[in-house]
Amino acid sequence: MSFDADVIVVGGGLAGLSAGIVSNREGLSTLVLERGEYSGSKNVSGGRMYVHALKKLVDIQDAPLERPIVRETYLFRCGSKEVTFSFYDPDSRNSYSVLRAKFDPWLAKKAEEEGVLISYETLVYDAVREGGGVTLRTNRGDLRAKLVIEADGVTAGVSRYLGVRRLDPDFLMLGVKEVVRPEVLPEEGEAKVLVGFLNGLLGGGFVYVNKDTLSIGATVKVSSLQKEKVLAREITEDLREKMGIKGEVLEYSAHLIPYYGFDNLPPLYAPNLLVTGDAAGLLINDGFVIRGMDLAIGSGMVAGQAAKKVLESGDATKTQVYEEMLKESFVMKDMMTARRAFQLMNSERLFKTYPDLLCRVMSRMFTVEGERRRLMDVVREELAGYNLTLSQVLRDLIKVM
Amino acid sequence: MDLLKRLGLNKYRIDKSSHIQVNLDICRTCVEKPCIKVCPAGTYERSGDVIEVHYERCLECGAALVACPFGAISFRFPEGGVSFRYG
Repeated sequence: MSFDADVIVVGGGLAGLSAGIVSNREGLSTLVLERGEYSGSKNVSGGRMYVHALKKLVDIQDAPLERPIVRETYLFRCGSKEVTFSFYDPDSRNSYSVLRAKFDPWLAKKAEEEGVLISYETLVYDAVREGGGVTLRTNRGDLRAKLVIEADGVTAGVSRYLGVRRLDPDFLMLGVKEVVRPEVLPEEGEAKVLVGFLNGLLGGGFVYVNKDTLSIGATVKVSSLQKEKVLAREITEDLREKMGIKGEVLEYSAHLIPYYGFDNLPPLYAPNLLVTGDAAGLLINDGFVIRGMDLAIGSGMVAGQAAKKVLESGDATKTQVYEEMLKESFVMKDMMTARRAFQLMNSERLFKTYPDLLCRVMSRMFTVEGERRRLMDVVREELAGYNLTLSQVLRDLIKVM
Repeated sequence: MDLLKRLGLNKYRIDKSSHIQVNLDICRTCVEKPCIKVCPAGTYERSGDVIEVHYERCLECGAALVACPFGAISFRFPEGGVSFRYG
């Protein structure tokens, strides 16, 4: 059997383009398949990228990034009460707000300029392992490669078609988002994390400031949506109203988000297959940062290098080297560092109990009605109301430390 | 803003046939119909004791792949479908 390419990359988003660029630089014949009519047309992200990995891949001087995020704000709400925490660093240039339908075509052009072949409007709907490689069934006919780099996003089609994994609502979050042109645009790039805004759903909200728009949305656990009486279609509207954001709505979109954590990661490789980015469940939330895009780029770059090693070995089924290389990279090291924080992020305590507790304690401390209690006594008393002890809270706190 | 108006902001190239199939025999036995709550595009609407699928509204988020706990929904990404201008 003949092959159409050494490596076929399924998906022309951040992970796929990064893999394609590196694989091509390694001298492998590389083909990238993209379902959309352009890269980014099917992508939705909350809208913030940490750019360290991108800088290693390409020159980012003319990258269509929106704004540097110089202000980080946490907003906790319980009923009408609110607690805000904000950090400002005007010199920060390590992360930017980003709109993927603008960003991804730019990266795709960079890849094409280097000679990467991208086949647009190519939908892969099945995959089988045969003849020492993988045959991908597409709307443009069968395509065969010795090695497939999967970068098809959170729904991981190729892995599912090959029988390597199944999807589980407990490890997936639904992201819903609106892009709004606000009546009043903030002057600087800001990222807001909103806790306690989602009517009991497990998840959080976000607002990112772009050049002339805002990205506002939420990510909620799919299993929580299945159980609660809240409709996903109403989340963004409700959120915009609660935040008092007025302006023209320009876009409404949605996307699944992988929420596995290091201890539940799906298989990162299989014979003839390397899995990258969202498809590999690579997302980090350690309480301070939520990252997916730099991990997509990082894992894509490693996959491109690993592809070379695998093919040089003469046996395209021996793909474990990819996982070994990934473990040496920032991608898996950071996943590992965040593993305990992930346990906390997955708990109901974080989304419901702690915001409530914070508001109640603050409320009592800022109220004077005679008989003043010490902070520690107030905390203890309020904890008792939730059947929590101080040592449990400290254990949780240590998880993010 | 009304859901259909919000969906109308996106660019769609709708396939001739639905990329979503529902096994109505299973669907009929489901009381809660969580797919209605999970789908952000209102693709699934109650119709008597089963579900009507408005596949042309689909935002292709993929939630339908896990929305139904009984495996009644088969979902495959469409050839055309939605395109985002901002993302």
